[in-house]
Amino acid sequence: MKKAWQITCIVSIIIGIIMLVSSFAYPYKDRLGPGPGFFPFWLSLIVIVLSFALFLQTTFSKAPPYGSGSPLPNQIGAKSILIILIALAISTGLIEFLGFRISLFLFLFFLPFFLGTRSLFINLIYALIGSFGVFHVFYYWLKVPLPMGILGL
Amino acid sequence: MEALQYWIQGFSVATLPINLLYAFIGCVLGTLIGVLPGLGPAAGTAILIPITFNLDPIGAIIMLAAIYYGAMYGGTITSVLVNVPGEAASVITCLDGYQMAKKGRAGPALGIAAIGSFIGGTFATFALMVVSLPLASFALKFGPPEVFALLVVGLSLVTGLSGRSILAALLMTLFGLMLAMIGMDPVRGAPRFTMGIPPLYDGVGFVPVVMGLFGVGEILLSMESPVLEVIKTKISDLFPKKEEWRVSAAAIGRGTLIGFFLGLIPGIGAIIPTFVAYVVEKKVSKHPEKFGTGIIEGVASPETANNSYANGAMVPLLTLGIPGSPTLAVLMGAFIIHGLTPGPFLFKERPDVVWGLIASFYLGNVILLILNLPLVGFWAKLLEIRYQYLYPGILLFCILGAYSLNQSIFDVGVMVVFGVLGYIFRKIDWPLAPTILALILGPMMERALRTSLEMSGGDLSILVTRPISAVLLVIAAIVLISPAIRLIGQKAGKD
Amino acid sequence: MGSLKILINKNLKKLVKEGKMKKGILISISVVLFLGFCGLALALDYPTRPITLQVPWPAGGSTDTGARILASIAEKKMGQPIVVINKVGAGSQVGLTETARQKPDGYYLGFVSVPALNTIILDPERKALFDLDSFVAIINQVVDPGLIWVKADSPYKTLKDVIEDAKKRPGEIRASTTGILGDDHLAILMLEEAAGIKFRIVHFDGGAHQLTATLGGQVDVSFDNVGSVAPRVKGGQLRGLAVMDKNRSKFLPDVPTTVELGYPTVISSSSRGVLGPKGIPAPILKKIQDVFLEAMKSPEHIEKMEKAGLAIVPLVGEEYAKYLRAVHERAKPLVEKARQAK
Repeated sequence: MKKAWQITCIVSIIIGIIMLVSSFAYPYKDRLGPGPGFFPFWLSLIVIVLSFALFLQTTFSKAPPYGSGSPLPNQIGAKSILIILIALAISTGLIEFLGFRISLFLFLFFLPFFLGTRSLFINLIYALIGSFGVFHVFYYWLKVPLPMGILGL
Repeated sequence: MEALQYWIQGFSVATLPINLLYAFIGCVLGTLIGVLPGLGPAAGTAILIPITFNLDPIGAIIMLAAIYYGAMYGGTITSVLVNVPGEAASVITCLDGYQMAKKGRAGPALGIAAIGSFIGGTFATFALMVVSLPLASFALKFGPPEVFALLVVGLSLVTGLSGRSILAALLMTLFGLMLAMIGMDPVRGAPRFTMGIPPLYDGVGFVPVVMGLFGVGEILLSMESPVLEVIKTKISDLFPKKEEWRVSAAAIGRGTLIGFFLGLIPGIGAIIPTFVAYVVEKKVSKHPEKFGTGIIEGVASPETANNSYANGAMVPLLTLGIPGSPTLAVLMGAFIIHGLTPGPFLFKERPDVVWGLIASFYLGNVILLILNLPLVGFWAKLLEIRYQYLYPGILLFCILGAYSLNQSIFDVGVMVVFGVLGYIFRKIDWPLAPTILALILGPMMERALRTSLEMSGGDLSILVTRPISAVLLVIAAIVLISPAIRLIGQKAGKD
Repeated sequence: MGSLKILINKNLKKLVKEGKMKKGILISISVVLFLGFCGLALALDYPTRPITLQVPWPAGGSTDTGARILASIAEKKMGQPIVVINKVGAGSQVGLTETARQKPDGYYLGFVSVPALNTIILDPERKALFDLDSFVAIINQVVDPGLIWVKADSPYKTLKDVIEDAKKRPGEIRASTTGILGDDHLAILMLEEAAGIKFRIVHFDGGAHQLTATLGGQVDVSFDNVGSVAPRVKGGQLRGLAVMDKNRSKFLPDVPTTVELGYPTVISSSSRGVLGPKGIPAPILKKIQDVFLEAMKSPEHIEKMEKAGLAIVPLVGEEYAKYLRAVHERAKPLVEKARQAK
């Protein structure tokens, strides 16, 4: 856990430096006062300072703030998390290409399956309601535009 | 007393069967809007305005107002059940509400939210009738410098949400502010940090970020200990326990006052009252460390403040015609379309409309309570669906919400990325709420500061020469510095 | 359609080979006519699904209100729902960027308010991803003349009072707008130039904030449009000092015009209308224009817009495009002036 906090602090310092440098591209002062560059400048400075302080506290303090436990996912979790992320990535990528109904049908059909359900039949019903059903409610009743892909679905 | 006469007249209007029906329909529609992803109350209310075109003005306004506070409650439902706030005001409810749901106590959480909302809303309605222009006029003194100072106080209160490490909480707040910087600068429109990606011109949306951090992140986290056995909730589990009633009562009392008075200040939005109420509750509590683990005051307090704010915000709307939030602006637009202009003019010319509306708020609160309490059992049962179906369903809900906001796949992508980030931060135990708060309050702060400087011609001292803002800034300083002083004091004590 | 063409061509080639050339020409001419007719029919088929009408301003504001009224009436004649969505940000720049990059198939239209459209294009700092040619002008709905107003108990009773005070205290009288480089801002600059005065300009994001600030005494005088505040001026909550138009507004007949008061160059208004991404096919464009125009002329539309204090001035197609170009030209020097002051 200690390492996790340290890494996060270092990443934070790096992001702070990037923002600091980028903020020079925007005018610091305006005719009236702070310009677009004002806030990012000070913000990134404070971020760098505080991240460094937290890094020191994490590394050297006798009563460190981080708890016990591991920042890494456990066995069961890791597999499921990966499955979910892949499913999300694929659906997101497909949603405009294949349209809402098909992409989410696939999502709702396969994801429960990979997470361990038994009955493909229930999956089917569930996926149908979740994709086509939901689409109908949102698109036709609530008038919320949802993507239709190349197949018009 | 004249007010009493109006009050009675108002009730006679509000209790007309047709108006009761409108209020009922409004509550139902509003709750649905609040529950459904992506349709914030403002957009949802706007969508429903044409439905009211065929109604008479009073009926239309009653329905729209019912939709408004119905939506607030709907947002609560999603916060408790799936940790995704239906709208900004419900973010704080997630902190304890969702934790309660995880412990199988979604019922009491939703129940106390409904009851607290009812009490807060009712009190605020009565206060609304009694309070008149002088109090509302006081609120007008809150110009940009005061709003800026108030927001600074608001952000400084994150120290109250710090959990393990105040430094970490502050860093998360700063991350939120950094996120808020992406996009077009709120005053001049110059694009900042957009890295050439057009959707980022609009900034990183609040909804995808919160759905990612809170919703998706939570699901990823849950995968580590999936509920393999469904906990069946008994009916008795649907009600708060005896000790819980007692602490809730106090929380509700405080939340009501905080929400109502903050509602009088135009333009600060609903998240501040809930946040302030929560932190105050935590500070006066005998067990502050339990906040965030699922205790009932953590839900009662913000929920009550939320509703009493909603009704309190009606004061500037009705008396001065100033909408305190985007949703109220939509409501006001609807008033105008129906030929009713909020303002002192309205009070004089059409007391039937105004008092009918106010009476209808009261009845609306009653209707919401009657509507929602029985449903609590239903919602609790919903959580019993096995996780292999429940979680994909929640993800569907999030994808839908993120996409339908701007019809943009980019937002869905943002949500997924923040889902991963949310997971990571939860694992290392850095608090997420400060980031969301900063994301919302950041742009408001920057705008308020720059407008203040426009008003003063570039002179920063305007912030301290005006009494209200000076006082607020001092409070903010105290709030921020006191933990540090305490730390130093402890260290000194050790030596 | 594509496969049909291939089929036809294959057969034509066969016919030519078989020496039935003359028949081939006859057939190919009929085929071309037939396909052309299909294309037309496709256009006449429009619309076959809901149409999105995007408003680049927040829900509840006067542009949004006008758009929703129009949409709800027009959709009946259109035969398909017209769904109003709000895409807010950067003084309408976000919404306009979105409209410009949409497919020009007639299913995505955008509301626009002018001169916001022009100032965004003209201000290089805004790095607009579009210009006037990115759009096709469909129809204008509202022309809302500018209004100079103060709160009811303000010490300023007439515009002259304001100008005199401004001369006495240059750069101190706080004049507010509803958005930087919006029509209000440009109007202030026009007045400054015409009267030889200098204000301290304060920008708010939209009418609601401006109203709060003015009523609270945070600013001294405000520039906005008739439609946004007419009901309150009528109600006595606010005092209208001048309408920035050639004629008095029928919503505020008691308020003098800037022309009457001696400042004929200070003419300002905000107009709102519908644009589409450039390249919408002519038959579809015409259908949209006809439907919207009819909707605007309907008594229901007129009545609702009256209640909202918005004056309807329909300008269709090329007429609208000309108007937009004219506003563009007039805005150029003012934007320059505003930028130099920054």
